[in-house]
Amino acid sequence: MSTEQISTNVISTQSASTKHISVKRYLPDNSTETYWQEYDLPVDDSTSLLDALNHIKEQLDSTLSYRWSCRMAICGSCGVMVNGIPKLGCKTFLRDYEGDIRIEPLAHFPVQRDLVVDMEIFLEHLAAVKPYLIDDNPVKPYDPNAPETYQQTPEQLERYKQFANCINCGLCYSACPQFGLNPEFLGPAALTLAHRYNLDSRDNGKKQRMAELNRHDGVWSCTFVGFCSKVCPKHVDPAAAVNQGKVEAAKHTLIALFKG
Amino acid sequence: MSMNKHDIQHKQAFDEPLWWGLFSAGGVCFAVLLPAVILFIAVLLPLGLLPAEALSYERASSLLFSVPGFLFVGAAVCLPLFHAAHRLRHGMFDISVGNDALNKKLMYGGAALLSALALGLVVAGFFS
Repeated sequence: MSTEQISTNVISTQSASTKHISVKRYLPDNSTETYWQEYDLPVDDSTSLLDALNHIKEQLDSTLSYRWSCRMAICGSCGVMVNGIPKLGCKTFLRDYEGDIRIEPLAHFPVQRDLVVDMEIFLEHLAAVKPYLIDDNPVKPYDPNAPETYQQTPEQLERYKQFANCINCGLCYSACPQFGLNPEFLGPAALTLAHRYNLDSRDNGKKQRMAELNRHDGVWSCTFVGFCSKVCPKHVDPAAAVNQGKVEAAKHTLIALFKG
Repeated sequence: MSMNKHDIQHKQAFDEPLWWGLFSAGGVCFAVLLPAVILFIAVLLPLGLLPAEALSYERASSLLFSVPGFLFVGAAVCLPLFHAAHRLRHGMFDISVGNDALNKKLMYGGAALLSALALGLVVAGFFS
Protein backbone atom coordinates (compact mmCIF):
# COMPACT_ATOMS: atom_id res chain seq x y z
CA MET A 1 0.00 0.00 0.00
CA SER A 2 1.15 3.46 -0.80
CA THR A 3 2.52 5.48 2.09
CA GLU A 4 2.36 8.68 0.12
CA GLN A 5 1.14 11.52 2.33
CA ILE A 6 -2.23 12.84 1.26
CA SER A 7 -4.49 15.42 2.76
CA THR A 8 -6.39 12.89 4.84
CA ASN A 9 -5.03 10.18 7.07
CA VAL A 10 -3.58 7.30 5.17
CA ILE A 11 -5.04 4.23 6.77
CA SER A 12 -2.22 2.13 8.08
CA THR A 13 -2.07 -1.50 7.01
CA GLN A 14 -1.02 -2.43 10.53
CA SER A 15 -4.44 -1.38 11.79
CA ALA A 16 -6.15 -3.91 13.95
CA SER A 17 -9.35 -4.49 12.03
CA THR A 18 -11.16 -4.55 8.75
CA LYS A 19 -14.59 -3.11 8.21
CA HIS A 20 -17.15 -3.82 5.60
CA ILE A 21 -19.05 -0.94 4.08
CA SER A 22 -21.72 -0.88 1.38
CA VAL A 23 -21.97 2.13 -0.89
CA LYS A 24 -25.00 2.91 -3.04
CA ARG A 25 -23.67 3.44 -6.56
CA TYR A 26 -25.30 5.35 -9.38
CA LEU A 27 -23.39 5.73 -12.62
CA PRO A 28 -25.81 7.31 -15.09
CA ASP A 29 -23.37 6.84 -18.00
CA ASN A 30 -23.62 3.06 -17.63
CA SER A 31 -27.08 2.43 -16.30
CA THR A 32 -30.09 4.20 -14.83
CA GLU A 33 -30.21 1.58 -12.07
CA THR A 34 -28.59 2.05 -8.69
CA TYR A 35 -26.77 -0.82 -7.04
CA TRP A 36 -24.92 -1.58 -3.82
CA GLN A 37 -21.21 -2.14 -3.90
CA GLU A 38 -19.30 -3.73 -1.04
CA TYR A 39 -15.84 -2.76 0.13
CA ASP A 40 -13.57 -4.14 2.84
CA LEU A 41 -11.29 -1.59 4.40
CA PRO A 42 -8.51 -1.56 6.96
CA VAL A 43 -9.58 0.76 9.78
CA ASP A 44 -8.20 2.07 13.02
CA ASP A 45 -9.77 4.17 15.77
CA SER A 46 -9.12 7.41 13.92
CA THR A 47 -10.64 6.36 10.58
CA SER A 48 -13.41 8.70 9.60
CA LEU A 49 -15.95 7.83 6.95
CA LEU A 50 -14.29 10.40 4.70
CA ASP A 51 -10.92 8.66 5.21
CA ALA A 52 -12.64 5.43 4.25
CA LEU A 53 -14.11 6.93 1.07
CA ASN A 54 -10.72 8.40 0.16
CA HIS A 55 -9.17 4.99 0.75
CA ILE A 56 -11.70 3.39 -1.60
CA LYS A 57 -11.12 6.06 -4.23
CA GLU A 58 -7.34 5.84 -4.08
CA GLN A 59 -6.73 2.16 -3.43
CA LEU A 60 -9.77 0.14 -4.40
CA ASP A 61 -12.07 1.81 -6.90
CA SER A 62 -11.29 5.08 -8.64
CA THR A 63 -14.78 5.27 -10.18
CA LEU A 64 -16.42 6.24 -6.88
CA SER A 65 -17.64 9.86 -6.78
CA TYR A 66 -18.31 11.91 -3.64
CA ARG A 67 -17.76 15.49 -2.49
CA TRP A 68 -15.35 16.64 0.14
CA SER A 69 -13.01 19.48 0.89
CA CYS A 70 -11.99 20.60 4.35
CA ARG A 71 -12.19 17.30 6.33
CA MET A 72 -12.83 19.31 9.52
CA ALA A 73 -16.61 19.91 9.54
CA ILE A 74 -16.52 23.45 8.29
CA CYS A 75 -17.02 23.27 4.51
CA GLY A 76 -20.18 21.19 4.65
CA SER A 77 -19.57 19.26 1.44
CA CYS A 78 -19.20 15.63 2.58
CA GLY A 79 -22.76 14.98 3.74
CA VAL A 80 -24.01 11.42 3.11
CA MET A 81 -26.56 9.06 4.63
CA VAL A 82 -24.96 6.59 7.02
CA ASN A 83 -27.39 3.76 7.82
CA GLY A 84 -30.20 6.12 6.87
CA ILE A 85 -29.07 9.06 9.03
CA PRO A 86 -27.63 12.21 7.42
CA LYS A 87 -24.02 12.70 8.59
CA LEU A 88 -20.86 14.54 7.62
CA GLY A 89 -18.33 12.00 6.41
CA CYS A 90 -15.46 13.79 8.13
CA LYS A 91 -17.25 13.90 11.50
CA THR A 92 -18.37 10.26 11.43
CA PHE A 93 -15.97 7.64 12.72
CA LEU A 94 -16.16 4.00 11.72
CA ARG A 95 -15.19 2.96 15.26
CA ASP A 96 -18.73 3.96 16.30
CA TYR A 97 -20.34 1.41 13.97
CA GLU A 98 -20.71 -2.30 14.50
CA GLY A 99 -21.84 -4.51 11.67
CA ASP A 100 -23.38 -3.13 8.51
CA ILE A 101 -22.41 0.36 7.38
CA ARG A 102 -24.56 1.51 4.48
CA ILE A 103 -23.57 4.73 2.71
CA GLU A 104 -26.09 6.51 0.48
CA PRO A 105 -26.32 9.97 -1.10
CA LEU A 106 -28.18 12.62 0.93
CA ALA A 107 -31.91 11.94 0.93
CA HIS A 108 -34.46 14.27 -0.71
CA PHE A 109 -31.99 15.65 -3.27
CA PRO A 110 -31.67 14.49 -6.88
CA VAL A 111 -28.60 12.24 -7.24
CA GLN A 112 -26.12 13.16 -9.95
CA ARG A 113 -23.66 10.33 -9.53
CA ASP A 114 -22.85 7.94 -6.65
CA LEU A 115 -22.80 10.10 -3.50
CA VAL A 116 -22.95 13.44 -5.32
CA VAL A 117 -26.32 15.21 -5.13
CA ASP A 118 -27.73 18.28 -6.83
CA MET A 119 -28.06 20.98 -4.15
CA GLU A 120 -29.55 23.59 -6.51
CA ILE A 121 -32.98 23.76 -4.87
CA PHE A 122 -31.38 24.26 -1.45
CA LEU A 123 -29.28 27.12 -2.82
CA GLU A 124 -32.38 28.68 -4.39
CA HIS A 125 -34.20 28.54 -1.06
CA LEU A 126 -31.19 30.10 0.65
CA ALA A 127 -31.10 32.95 -1.85
CA ALA A 128 -34.87 33.50 -1.51
CA VAL A 129 -34.60 34.53 2.17
CA LYS A 130 -31.85 37.10 1.49
CA PRO A 131 -29.35 35.74 4.03
CA TYR A 132 -27.18 38.85 4.27
CA LEU A 133 -27.31 42.17 6.08
CA ILE A 134 -29.83 44.51 4.51
CA ASP A 135 -29.57 48.12 5.53
CA ASP A 136 -31.65 50.31 3.25
CA ASN A 137 -31.96 53.12 5.75
CA PRO A 138 -28.68 53.43 7.57
CA VAL A 139 -28.86 55.71 10.59
CA LYS A 140 -26.11 57.84 9.14
CA PRO A 141 -25.41 58.23 5.44
CA TYR A 142 -22.32 56.37 4.34
CA ASP A 143 -19.30 58.64 4.17
CA PRO A 144 -16.41 57.04 2.26
CA ASN A 145 -13.93 59.40 3.90
CA ALA A 146 -14.92 58.43 7.40
CA PRO A 147 -16.57 55.01 7.16
CA GLU A 148 -18.17 53.92 10.39
CA THR A 149 -18.25 50.34 11.47
CA TYR A 150 -21.40 48.80 12.84
CA GLN A 151 -21.23 48.38 16.56
CA GLN A 152 -22.83 45.55 18.41
CA THR A 153 -22.95 44.71 22.08
CA PRO A 154 -22.21 41.15 23.28
CA GLU A 155 -25.92 40.86 24.16
CA GLN A 156 -26.93 41.81 20.62
CA LEU A 157 -24.45 39.27 19.26
CA GLU A 158 -25.75 36.57 21.58
CA ARG A 159 -29.29 36.86 20.18
CA TYR A 160 -28.36 35.39 16.79
CA LYS A 161 -24.93 33.85 17.33
CA GLN A 162 -26.08 30.25 17.65
CA PHE A 163 -28.06 30.46 14.40
CA ALA A 164 -25.02 31.87 12.60
CA ASN A 165 -23.04 28.61 12.80
CA CYS A 166 -24.73 27.02 9.77
CA ILE A 167 -22.27 25.59 7.22
CA ASN A 168 -24.90 24.91 4.52
CA CYS A 169 -24.20 21.19 4.47
CA GLY A 170 -27.83 20.33 3.79
CA LEU A 171 -28.06 17.52 6.38
CA CYS A 172 -31.17 19.16 7.85
CA TYR A 173 -32.88 19.00 4.44
CA SER A 174 -32.20 15.28 4.25
CA ALA A 175 -33.58 14.91 7.77
CA CYS A 176 -36.73 16.95 7.10
CA PRO A 177 -39.76 14.84 6.11
CA GLN A 178 -41.63 17.97 5.02
CA PHE A 179 -38.88 18.91 2.56
CA GLY A 180 -39.02 15.32 1.33
CA LEU A 181 -42.75 15.68 0.63
CA ASN A 182 -42.57 19.20 -0.79
CA PRO A 183 -39.25 20.45 -2.20
CA GLU A 184 -40.74 23.96 -2.47
CA PHE A 185 -40.67 24.15 1.35
CA LEU A 186 -37.95 26.69 2.16
CA GLY A 187 -36.59 24.22 4.69
CA PRO A 188 -34.63 24.30 7.95
CA ALA A 189 -31.35 25.99 6.98
CA ALA A 190 -32.89 28.78 4.87
CA LEU A 191 -35.50 29.57 7.52
CA THR A 192 -32.82 29.52 10.20
CA LEU A 193 -30.60 31.91 8.29
CA ALA A 194 -33.58 34.21 7.71
CA HIS A 195 -34.18 34.18 11.46
CA ARG A 196 -30.49 34.77 12.13
CA TYR A 197 -30.51 37.97 10.04
CA ASN A 198 -33.89 39.07 11.41
CA LEU A 199 -32.37 38.89 14.90
CA ASP A 200 -29.27 40.89 13.94
CA SER A 201 -29.28 44.43 15.30
CA ARG A 202 -27.45 45.68 12.18
CA ASP A 203 -30.11 44.40 9.83
CA ASN A 204 -33.21 46.12 8.46
CA GLY A 205 -34.37 43.48 6.01
CA LYS A 206 -36.92 41.71 8.20
CA LYS A 207 -39.91 43.02 6.26
CA GLN A 208 -38.60 41.63 2.97
CA ARG A 209 -37.82 38.27 4.57
CA MET A 210 -41.17 37.96 6.36
CA ALA A 211 -42.97 37.97 3.00
CA GLU A 212 -41.02 34.80 2.15
CA LEU A 213 -41.39 33.21 5.59
CA ASN A 214 -45.14 33.79 5.85
CA ARG A 215 -46.01 31.57 2.90
CA HIS A 216 -47.38 28.03 3.00
CA ASP A 217 -43.98 26.94 1.73
CA GLY A 218 -42.30 29.16 4.34
CA VAL A 219 -42.44 28.53 8.09
CA TRP A 220 -45.95 27.07 7.87
CA SER A 221 -44.85 23.85 6.19
CA CYS A 222 -42.83 22.91 9.27
CA THR A 223 -44.53 20.40 11.59
CA PHE A 224 -41.81 20.60 14.27
CA VAL A 225 -40.49 17.08 13.78
CA GLY A 226 -37.16 18.33 15.16
CA PHE A 227 -34.90 15.83 13.36
CA CYS A 228 -33.13 18.77 11.67
CA SER A 229 -31.80 19.88 15.04
CA LYS A 230 -30.71 16.33 15.90
CA VAL A 231 -28.61 15.87 12.75
CA CYS A 232 -27.11 19.37 12.61
CA PRO A 233 -23.32 18.91 12.91
CA LYS A 234 -22.92 22.47 14.21
CA HIS A 235 -25.73 22.33 16.84
CA VAL A 236 -27.54 25.24 15.23
CA ASP A 237 -31.04 24.04 16.30
CA PRO A 238 -32.99 24.91 13.14
CA ALA A 239 -36.23 23.57 14.67
CA ALA A 240 -36.11 26.30 17.32
CA ALA A 241 -35.36 28.97 14.73
CA VAL A 242 -38.21 27.87 12.44
CA ASN A 243 -40.70 27.84 15.29
CA GLN A 244 -39.58 31.23 16.54
CA GLY A 245 -40.09 32.22 12.90
CA LYS A 246 -43.71 31.06 13.19
CA VAL A 247 -44.24 33.46 16.09
CA GLU A 248 -42.67 36.25 14.03
CA ALA A 249 -44.79 35.37 10.99
CA ALA A 250 -47.94 35.39 13.14
CA LYS A 251 -47.00 38.83 14.53
CA HIS A 252 -46.24 40.02 11.00
CA THR A 253 -49.68 38.87 9.84
CA LEU A 254 -51.49 40.53 12.76
CA ILE A 255 -49.68 43.82 12.15
CA ALA A 256 -50.45 43.57 8.42
CA LEU A 257 -54.15 43.01 9.24
CA PHE A 258 -54.36 46.10 11.43
CA LYS A 259 -52.44 48.25 8.98
CA GLY A 260 -54.69 46.97 6.18
CA MET B 1 -36.70 30.64 -8.06
CA SER B 2 -37.18 34.26 -8.97
CA MET B 3 -40.49 35.28 -7.52
CA ASN B 4 -41.57 38.84 -8.02
CA LYS B 5 -43.14 40.93 -5.30
CA HIS B 6 -46.66 40.40 -6.58
CA ASP B 7 -46.35 36.61 -6.48
CA ILE B 8 -45.01 36.70 -2.96
CA GLN B 9 -47.83 38.96 -1.76
CA HIS B 10 -50.30 36.68 -3.50
CA LYS B 11 -48.92 33.63 -1.72
CA GLN B 12 -49.02 35.09 1.79
CA ALA B 13 -50.54 32.56 4.17
CA PHE B 14 -52.91 34.82 6.07
CA ASP B 15 -54.89 31.93 7.53
CA GLU B 16 -51.98 29.86 8.81
CA PRO B 17 -51.21 32.03 11.86
CA LEU B 18 -54.85 31.59 12.96
CA TRP B 19 -54.74 27.78 12.67
CA TRP B 20 -51.36 27.69 14.34
CA GLY B 21 -52.56 29.98 17.15
CA LEU B 22 -55.60 27.76 17.77
CA PHE B 23 -53.36 24.68 17.58
CA SER B 24 -50.96 26.14 20.17
CA ALA B 25 -53.73 27.27 22.52
CA GLY B 26 -55.43 23.89 22.10
CA GLY B 27 -52.19 22.09 22.87
CA VAL B 28 -51.82 23.95 26.14
CA CYS B 29 -55.43 23.21 27.11
CA PHE B 30 -55.04 19.57 26.09
CA ALA B 31 -51.95 19.18 28.24
CA VAL B 32 -53.06 21.22 31.25
CA LEU B 33 -56.82 20.75 31.52
CA LEU B 34 -57.76 17.42 29.99
CA PRO B 35 -55.80 15.13 32.35
CA ALA B 36 -57.53 16.78 35.32
CA VAL B 37 -60.94 16.58 33.60
CA ILE B 38 -60.43 12.90 32.81
CA LEU B 39 -59.17 12.21 36.32
CA PHE B 40 -62.23 13.77 37.95
CA ILE B 41 -65.03 12.87 35.53
CA ALA B 42 -63.80 9.59 34.08
CA VAL B 43 -61.85 8.04 36.97
CA LEU B 44 -62.60 9.42 40.44
CA LEU B 45 -66.32 9.96 39.91
CA PRO B 46 -67.18 6.49 38.51
CA LEU B 47 -65.02 4.88 41.21
CA GLY B 48 -67.11 6.67 43.81
CA LEU B 49 -64.09 8.45 45.26
CA LEU B 50 -65.82 11.84 45.07
CA PRO B 51 -68.76 12.81 47.28
CA ALA B 52 -71.95 11.61 45.57
CA GLU B 53 -73.38 15.09 45.21
CA ALA B 54 -70.11 16.61 43.83
CA LEU B 55 -71.49 16.42 40.30
CA SER B 56 -75.16 15.82 40.94
CA TYR B 57 -77.48 16.84 38.09
CA GLU B 58 -78.40 20.17 39.71
CA ARG B 59 -74.82 21.03 40.62
CA ALA B 60 -73.39 19.94 37.26
CA SER B 61 -75.98 21.93 35.30
CA SER B 62 -75.49 25.07 37.34
CA LEU B 63 -71.70 24.74 36.90
CA LEU B 64 -71.87 24.07 33.18
CA PHE B 65 -74.64 26.46 32.09
CA SER B 66 -72.87 29.60 33.25
CA VAL B 67 -70.19 31.97 31.98
CA PRO B 68 -67.37 29.92 33.62
CA GLY B 69 -69.00 26.79 32.16
CA PHE B 70 -68.95 28.41 28.71
CA LEU B 71 -65.24 29.23 29.11
CA PHE B 72 -64.57 25.71 30.41
CA VAL B 73 -66.16 24.12 27.33
CA GLY B 74 -64.22 26.50 25.10
CA ALA B 75 -60.94 25.47 26.75
CA ALA B 76 -61.63 21.77 27.29
CA VAL B 77 -63.53 21.01 24.07
CA CYS B 78 -63.21 23.67 21.35
CA LEU B 79 -59.52 24.53 21.48
CA PRO B 80 -58.43 20.87 21.72
CA LEU B 81 -60.71 20.19 18.73
CA PHE B 82 -58.77 22.72 16.67
CA HIS B 83 -55.52 21.24 17.97
CA ALA B 84 -56.61 17.78 16.82
CA ALA B 85 -57.86 19.16 13.48
CA HIS B 86 -54.47 20.75 12.81
CA ARG B 87 -52.65 17.52 13.63
CA LEU B 88 -55.01 15.48 11.47
CA ARG B 89 -54.62 17.88 8.56
CA HIS B 90 -50.81 17.73 8.71
CA GLY B 91 -50.91 13.97 9.38
CA MET B 92 -52.98 13.46 6.23
CA PHE B 93 -50.49 15.54 4.26
CA ASP B 94 -47.67 13.40 5.71
CA ILE B 95 -49.25 10.16 4.49
CA SER B 96 -50.40 11.81 1.21
CA VAL B 97 -54.14 11.41 1.79
CA GLY B 98 -56.45 13.80 -0.06
CA ASN B 99 -55.30 17.29 -0.91
CA ASP B 100 -54.37 19.93 1.61
CA ALA B 101 -56.87 22.57 0.46
CA LEU B 102 -59.79 20.18 0.92
CA ASN B 103 -58.39 18.61 4.11
CA LYS B 104 -58.12 22.08 5.60
CA LYS B 105 -61.78 22.81 4.98
CA LEU B 106 -62.86 19.40 6.28
CA MET B 107 -60.70 19.42 9.42
CA TYR B 108 -61.07 23.01 10.57
CA GLY B 109 -64.69 23.05 9.37
CA GLY B 110 -65.39 19.95 11.43
CA ALA B 111 -63.71 21.46 14.47
CA ALA B 112 -65.70 24.68 14.02
CA LEU B 113 -69.01 22.80 13.69
CA LEU B 114 -68.40 20.63 16.75
CA SER B 115 -67.27 23.72 18.69
CA ALA B 116 -70.39 25.61 17.72
CA LEU B 117 -72.49 22.62 18.78
CA ALA B 118 -70.75 22.34 22.16
CA LEU B 119 -70.94 26.07 22.90
CA GLY B 120 -74.49 26.19 21.51
CA LEU B 121 -75.57 23.50 23.99
CA VAL B 122 -74.11 25.52 26.86
CA VAL B 123 -75.90 28.68 25.69
CA ALA B 124 -79.16 26.76 25.20
CA GLY B 125 -78.85 25.29 28.70
CA PHE B 126 -78.12 28.73 30.10
CA PHE B 127 -81.36 30.17 28.74
CA SER B 128 -83.57 27.16 29.43
